[in-house]
Amino acid sequence: MSSRSKPGTSFKGYAAVLRGSMMEALSFRASTFLRIAGNLVYLVIIYFLWKAIFDSSPADTVNGMSFYDTMIYLVLAAAMFNFMDTFVVYWIGEDYQTGQIALYLTKPIEYQPFLFFSRLGNCVISFFVTFMPTFLIVYFVTRGSISLGVNLLFFMVSILLAIGVNFCIDFFVGIICFYTQSVWGVNIMKEVVVSLLSGATIPLAFFPEVFRKIVDVLPFQAIYHIPLHILTDKTMQLSDYAASLGIQLFWLAVMLGISRLFWKVSVKGLTVNGG
Amino acid sequence: MKKEKRGFAYYAHIYKMILLQDLKSKMSYRSDFIISTVGILFTDIAGFISFWILFQNFPEIKGWHYYEVLFLYGFSLMAMTPVQCFFDNNWNLMEALYTGNFIKYCFRPINLFFYFISEVFDIKGVGQFIFGVITVVYSWNKLGILLSFRNIAGFLVGVISASLFMIAIMNFAASASFWMSGGTSQLMILMFKFKDYARYPIKIFNRVFQIIFTFIIPIGFMAYYPSLYVIRPEEVTLLTYLTPIYGIVLVYFSYRVWMKGARQYSGTGS
Repeated sequence: MSSRSKPGTSFKGYAAVLRGSMMEALSFRASTFLRIAGNLVYLVIIYFLWKAIFDSSPADTVNGMSFYDTMIYLVLAAAMFNFMDTFVVYWIGEDYQTGQIALYLTKPIEYQPFLFFSRLGNCVISFFVTFMPTFLIVYFVTRGSISLGVNLLFFMVSILLAIGVNFCIDFFVGIICFYTQSVWGVNIMKEVVVSLLSGATIPLAFFPEVFRKIVDVLPFQAIYHIPLHILTDKTMQLSDYAASLGIQLFWLAVMLGISRLFWKVSVKGLTVNGG
Repeated sequence: MKKEKRGFAYYAHIYKMILLQDLKSKMSYRSDFIISTVGILFTDIAGFISFWILFQNFPEIKGWHYYEVLFLYGFSLMAMTPVQCFFDNNWNLMEALYTGNFIKYCFRPINLFFYFISEVFDIKGVGQFIFGVITVVYSWNKLGILLSFRNIAGFLVGVISASLFMIAIMNFAASASFWMSGGTSQLMILMFKFKDYARYPIKIFNRVFQIIFTFIIPIGFMAYYPSLYVIRPEEVTLLTYLTPIYGIVLVYFSYRVWMKGARQYSGTGS
């Protein structure tokens, strides 16, 4: 048990896990390529869909968003989705169903941070392989509609917080699989709820008033809406940035607390099939 | 060995037997079944809500109104049911090839493709089908479409023909596993997403992409062209009438590719 209490060793351990997971991600080049191809098709579809929508609309801006704003928001949301979606629920479900999870419990590192770092490698690689190029393309195509200033700095912080919130929600949902024995079904429900209520499919600005109020008190906006808002909204002041990051920090703390508590409770009653 | 003629009745009988076995094993995971069905319903309802939100902000898209787009949506959900229910085992093909389990299908005296595909009946698709029917009935009503023989027959032929396209696409995607060793699951995920794009009128794209989504990636046939026959008879094109024929040709072709791949499978040696 001594190694668990030494912060130095355990940080080194997680760094090794992170390095390993980055190498793993790099070795699946064919699937990265296909992911990019799939993204391109998706982008073509939403481009024409929203172009048609705005062409048919009498006003140039609807709810404060122009066609360009909407496209930037949705394109970057799609690019973010690529590195947020690291199949954490599947990994937990698989570790549970194969009984592998029992082995992790005997190791001198904790399961939650271990899982976080072993999926983070994918995030890091995807950030450079898909998000950065997408961002640059969007930047040049829209001829500087995104301002390059202090917002970039806050955006980077915001992205990190978003990854944290997203991971905690995934982790929480993953533990639900212990009780339901259904991974696929639980995961698809989560994906639907997150992508709709976080603004990844339709920007939250278009939501009707009542919906908007509900979404505002839920953690999902902290994943896509807040980082993208920070990146694209030019009217934000320092206090606005602070408030936005504050909301994310709040949700990160809440979700981290809840997910860890849920893990503690669940692991006590955990029964796995012998392996 | 005595050579018998194996007709449709023989295969229907076999299918029933395999189906019952599969259902029995599914029933032992009842909570998984219920949660997965609810999960698919979540996806369908989210699609519905998305359109609702869109049309709260915008009255129409290129002349297409709310109920017409809902009709396309319901139509596409219904047309995706066969691929979901009957052809779901394609998703396991890569794993079967990789582990070597696929060899067992090669040693049965029945059609290889039939045996492999019939092994899984994905009952989850039924919920989606019901949701699709409700959406179609709702928008059919709101659009005030006549309940004539022409419309109902045209609709049924349309849905069945449209369903062939996704079956063909998933067969093509899965059969890539016979030649490629990695990345095919990503390929299947990519192809499977096409069904989500079928719900938009092809009219929203520019000329180039209209051609691409008609002939190269046949998204237009999965809802738009066949639906025109019922919701916009004055806009029906030759492509609407070609839907059944083109669908059959594609499915046949995908079957041949699948079988070609299966015949050259050499096992894993275990």
